[in-house]
Amino acid sequence: MATTTTKTETLVGKRIRRREDPRLITGTATYVEDIKMPGMHYAAIVRSPHAAAKIRSIDTSKAAAHPGVAAVFVGKDVAGVGPVPCGASLPGLRVPHHSILATDRVYFVGHPVAVVVATDRYIAADAADLVEIDWDVTQAVADPEKALASGAPAVHPEWPDNKAFDFHQEHGEIDKAFAEADVVVKQRITSQRLIPTAMETRGVVAEWRAADRALTLYTSTQIPHLVRTLVAMMLGLEENRLRVVAPEVGGGFGSKLNVYAEEALMGFVSMKIGKPVKWIESRRENFLTTIHGRGHVDYYEIAAKKDGTILGIKLKIIQDLGAYHQLLTPAIPTLSVLMMPGLYRTQNIRADIVGVFTNCVPTDAYRGAGRPEATHGIERMVDMLAAELKMDPAEIRLKNFVHKDEFPFPTATGLTYDSGDYAAPLKKAMDLAGYDKLRAEQAEARKQGKLMGIGISTYGEICALGPSPATPAGGWESATVKIEPTGKVTVMTGASPHGQGEETTFAQVAADELGVDIDDILVLHGDTSIVQYGIGTFGSRGTAVGGTAMYFALQELKAKLKKFGAMMLNSDDVTLANGQCVCNKTGAAKSIAEMAAASYRAMALPPNTQPGMVSTYFWEPPNFTFPFGAHLVVTDIDKDTGAISIRRYIAVDDCGNLLNPLIVDGQVHGGVAQGLGQALWEQAVYDDNGQLVTGELTDYVVPRAHMMPWIESSHTITPTPVNPLGVKGVGEAGTIGCSPAVVNSVVDALSPLGVKHIDMPMTPEKIWNLVKGAH
Amino acid sequence: MKISGTHRLPFPPEESYAKLQDPELLAQTIPGCESLEKIGEDEYKMKMKMALAAVSGAFEGKIRIADKNPPESFRLIVEGAGKIGFVRGEGLLKFSAAGDATEVTYDGDVQVGGTIAAVGQRLIDATSKTMIRKFFEKIAG
Repeated sequence: MATTTTKTETLVGKRIRRREDPRLITGTATYVEDIKMPGMHYAAIVRSPHAAAKIRSIDTSKAAAHPGVAAVFVGKDVAGVGPVPCGASLPGLRVPHHSILATDRVYFVGHPVAVVVATDRYIAADAADLVEIDWDVTQAVADPEKALASGAPAVHPEWPDNKAFDFHQEHGEIDKAFAEADVVVKQRITSQRLIPTAMETRGVVAEWRAADRALTLYTSTQIPHLVRTLVAMMLGLEENRLRVVAPEVGGGFGSKLNVYAEEALMGFVSMKIGKPVKWIESRRENFLTTIHGRGHVDYYEIAAKKDGTILGIKLKIIQDLGAYHQLLTPAIPTLSVLMMPGLYRTQNIRADIVGVFTNCVPTDAYRGAGRPEATHGIERMVDMLAAELKMDPAEIRLKNFVHKDEFPFPTATGLTYDSGDYAAPLKKAMDLAGYDKLRAEQAEARKQGKLMGIGISTYGEICALGPSPATPAGGWESATVKIEPTGKVTVMTGASPHGQGEETTFAQVAADELGVDIDDILVLHGDTSIVQYGIGTFGSRGTAVGGTAMYFALQELKAKLKKFGAMMLNSDDVTLANGQCVCNKTGAAKSIAEMAAASYRAMALPPNTQPGMVSTYFWEPPNFTFPFGAHLVVTDIDKDTGAISIRRYIAVDDCGNLLNPLIVDGQVHGGVAQGLGQALWEQAVYDDNGQLVTGELTDYVVPRAHMMPWIESSHTITPTPVNPLGVKGVGEAGTIGCSPAVVNSVVDALSPLGVKHIDMPMTPEKIWNLVKGAH
Repeated sequence: MKISGTHRLPFPPEESYAKLQDPELLAQTIPGCESLEKIGEDEYKMKMKMALAAVSGAFEGKIRIADKNPPESFRLIVEGAGKIGFVRGEGLLKFSAAGDATEVTYDGDVQVGGTIAAVGQRLIDATSKTMIRKFFEKIAG
């Protein structure tokens, strides 16, 4: 039989440790900040301290005269650079012109006004303080509901109503549903502004080499190719002269799914001064000028029959957009509308969005992007409905779920849910929790005057973004797989991971498909000069779309390998498996390395076959995927302090097949941390003048390790038919499932006091006041 | 942000009123004041140092006195800016006799921006009250 070594151990589905971690935990990874170049200059950006003001004049003379300063640029200097792009389009959308440096007016605190470039970072910062700006301060408005009131200051004078767009969507017979309902529950639910707080702030190094007419931009981004296309357009530079590199990226969560003024600005500066230039965002700049998430005020109405059957849902979203549109700003609340029915069967919906300008930094995609808001809303409403009907919250959910035999299921909002068994994770979570026993314990605790809560959320989400017609820039992903002449395998993915562990999961899939050792596989990403065009990592798409593209590239290579194997073994009857091609008659075999070498040496070629062993595949997904799950949270409330303690956090997620359960757990943990952040602690607060009061980590509470509960994570597995890997995506699941489960639990705990709803964040102060108010 | 309070000065109202408009005395009594110079009728330029939580820095600003109604009241308008942000405030000071002394009450509105708003806004109330108390203590001698 075979004479070469064979690999029979498979890796997919195993808890393989992340191959990227050694460089991360030893501090040897290269982030933008780690890049140093001869002759490098440093930029400091002068930003508006006012939320709304006209610029009477700017005097840069003192800054320019400061020793070590190479240049100072203001708005009129960058007039030739295109505006910060908005990639989303909606009917009638108003798009303010947002130049990379303000010219005559500013409309949020942090608005860039000038850039000072010096030989040293400290000189640049000192000289930036010497730029004198004469401001004519005007009235600001920082709250979306106040901005809609008549007489509110206009964020953009040309649109005095502060509306960027109105959006309406309707399906079924919504008025009939509400007319026939036994019960209608209404609630205003907010989803507060959040600051994404990637541990690595943004940063850009731009290097212009005039002789080569080549600009390289190192930037901390989730979407290097889109940055290349859009920044090239902004700068008027041919796209093939611009190389964008996303080196190690220390977290994005959507905040780096964007094209920012500073990316084009650094390109401009480097081209002007002919030197490399670096700008690293400070934490305060990050809080003020990198996009925020959420920012919803939602008005919900849900209609139902006495038996708990949901008849229809109405939703009005007031979306705080901020002062202008970043890449996807206006599109985010439309995702909330798509997700508004949750996992429930109702076909009657009416949704309205009003997008509102405020004198704040723009909102945009933040982990979940529109779906956490929608899930929070529907899951709160279902709980309120259950309370109204005196039903158990689990029972009302089980009654309204799409049944497992109804897939593919067309939703009221125009989606087609791919596959699911929504009762399965809920039942599993209830079993793990010992639900009936917990309820009995709760009844006993209440007799003793203790506040104990049990909260459930059953979430669905829209993942694997997404079919191209549904996305602003194409929803496919690409991969190239090369088997080098020595048999080593290089994978280049257009999904630009930044913490998702794809150097591990993609290598697992490639190792299994080709039957080679995982250590022979290198996964490259994040460099537009190395990787064919790609879309990037966001919307839980990396593995489901990018991984699938790689899977198909691997199938093409396997077909080619088999042709070379057949030729080399002089047989038509061969099998490619376990890293070799075997003649089924003689048992003679050729290894992957031997076949690859032969393909490059090309002394002979199979018919109609090119030399080399490279395949590139651009995969267009036919649909989104729709993961789901159930989170169950048990809380105890301290009546005297208002402190919430989470006794148990059970997360049962169904994200389809698990390529690497260890990485899936990590994604769930991180997602839950950010969901808990919203539920309990985080809130971006602007005062009435548009000043960001929570401008530092001292005032903005992000979850720390010691604040996290133990997460009991488990899964049900319902593969998706959308892609051959059967994977759905898990990057955002934890965040989406978390906040409603926690709020439902705390409301449940306080329900004996008459509490029906609590808006996030549920700070001890807020809870203490509710408890105190009840007595 | 609203800010208000009452302090007692051991002088009759006329004297208290005059002292609170005496640039030389003010320069010595305003906490952190480095210079105060008259640039026009009832208008002064001031340099001062201010510290708020973890941020501190130099401020340059203007003080203007308006709505003069001696010895009962005047309005103080302050505008300052520096590396760490800006402050704008307006307040009405009222003087009323209390035996040999004067009760000075102030009632105003303060706006801050920039780093001090982002980092120290929660502390502004306490910090400004402390500064005002120190100021009146110094004036009282």
